[in-house]
Amino acid sequence: MKNHPDRRHKWYVLGFYLLLFAVWQLVFSLELAPDYLFPSPLQVARRLTELALDGMLWPSIKTTLSRMAIGFTIAAGIGLLIGLLMGVSRIVNGCLKSLFLGFQSLPTAAWMPISLLLFGLSDHGIYFVIIMSSVAAIAISTSDGIHRIPPLYLRAARTLGTPAYAMPVRVILPAALPGIVTGIKLGWTLGWHGAVSAELIKSSVGLGYLLYMGRELNDAAQVLGIMMLTILFGLLLDRFLFGLIEQRIRRRWGLAGES
Amino acid sequence: MDPHPPDAAAPEASPAPVKLEFSEVAKSFEHDSQTVAALRPVSLRVHAGEFVVLFGPSGCGKSTLLNLVAGFETPTSGTITLDGKAIDGPGNDRLMMFQEHALFPWLNVIDNVMYGLRWEPGFRFRPHARRRKALELLHLVHLDEFAKSSIHELSGGMRQRVALARALAPDPKVLLIDEPFPALDALVRAKLYIELQDILVRTHKTIMSVTHDPREAACLGDRVVIFTGRPGRIRSEVRVDLPRPRDINSPEVAEHAGRINAQLEAANEEPSGSEA
Repeated sequence: MKNHPDRRHKWYVLGFYLLLFAVWQLVFSLELAPDYLFPSPLQVARRLTELALDGMLWPSIKTTLSRMAIGFTIAAGIGLLIGLLMGVSRIVNGCLKSLFLGFQSLPTAAWMPISLLLFGLSDHGIYFVIIMSSVAAIAISTSDGIHRIPPLYLRAARTLGTPAYAMPVRVILPAALPGIVTGIKLGWTLGWHGAVSAELIKSSVGLGYLLYMGRELNDAAQVLGIMMLTILFGLLLDRFLFGLIEQRIRRRWGLAGES
Repeated sequence: MDPHPPDAAAPEASPAPVKLEFSEVAKSFEHDSQTVAALRPVSLRVHAGEFVVLFGPSGCGKSTLLNLVAGFETPTSGTITLDGKAIDGPGNDRLMMFQEHALFPWLNVIDNVMYGLRWEPGFRFRPHARRRKALELLHLVHLDEFAKSSIHELSGGMRQRVALARALAPDPKVLLIDEPFPALDALVRAKLYIELQDILVRTHKTIMSVTHDPREAACLGDRVVIFTGRPGRIRSEVRVDLPRPRDINSPEVAEHAGRINAQLEAANEEPSGSEA
């Protein structure tokens, strides 16, 4: 299916990253700053390897991911339910939409103080931040997805005898799936921000914690390395898990151009 | 609810009983606090097993009439009865095959066809019976080997055949077709017309369809009801007594199409002529 302009495009991207690392190495070799403040790519890689060999890295990644798995599953459940209510009821939509848009303008880290007050240093606070960061985006995308359902589907469902109680599960949610998946994808990214920010302050394990420790120890190589890992995992899941699901659904729903 | 004996006013005394009866049905819409008439009072009878085509220019109210039968809209005045009972809201005894394909992309072909059976009395909680019926219908529209395909893998013509199978599945009393095959190329259309007629002869369905193509009207209809525009009313009727299946490209169909078109043009020249 993929044709060659696409494949060539991939090589450009690879080239771009190689160039980026080359420039980084070049700037490093100009010795503008001491290497404990501005490490080279190699030093970052070495530090990450050390962390991995010390058994620090993998448990941290696993912890952050499992926190996300739990927090985000809860967030998706709540977001879908609220989004469904917003989608079918004008009144609920009118009340909640402005509130959730407001939530979205709040940086995820701004949920930290209230989370500390409510939950202290327990893990519940991290889940709280993940949920609060992502629920609004999921709910809004779900309700938008429902509002964008082609009326033809609803008419067809009604003539085919769908009873009102069966509409949400049989027709409304599946028909709104393209919007819902977009929301899940966006929610995942925001939740990921929330998880790492929360770990910066209140955890003794996790990617955010390693980031914080790096700063405490004046270890710029660790800070940069963990930042890169955070980007990598966020991107991997966003692009390759949710991105591929979204693409498939959009094609199946006839929303993407089929070549 | 049954004011007239069935064949009092029926043209050329059709022996079949009256299926659908429209008496003085009119529809107007509120638009910017103004009332706009879409359909002037229309009376019409459709007999069991008959294929009636509503023909006319766009905006003549023919689609409105179809939506009234489907129950998506309610008449401003007058009544529509199906088997003597007044129509009240949408129901699967009158199924619509939509203009665009309205198949559900989240279901595959056979699940689409089975969809309307889920709540049917004889099929509730009987998935095997549903599947059997759906397979029969897919066979009827020659799509047996596509049962498991997803909708986006099908061509436009195949999608319309699935839509037809889905509309036939709950065994509706009346099948409504809004512009059956608009976005298809001529070759595929010609073939589909033959197929559609073949299926109709076998299922003996009562059908109402809407078109602005005189050839399509002549090819499909037993009776073509000609509408004139804004607000719509019935101008006249043309009976098409050609044997089926008819080829849309045959000279006989073309000749009838010419007659149908001539009626419409005659109507346009006398803008407010009266006809019962």
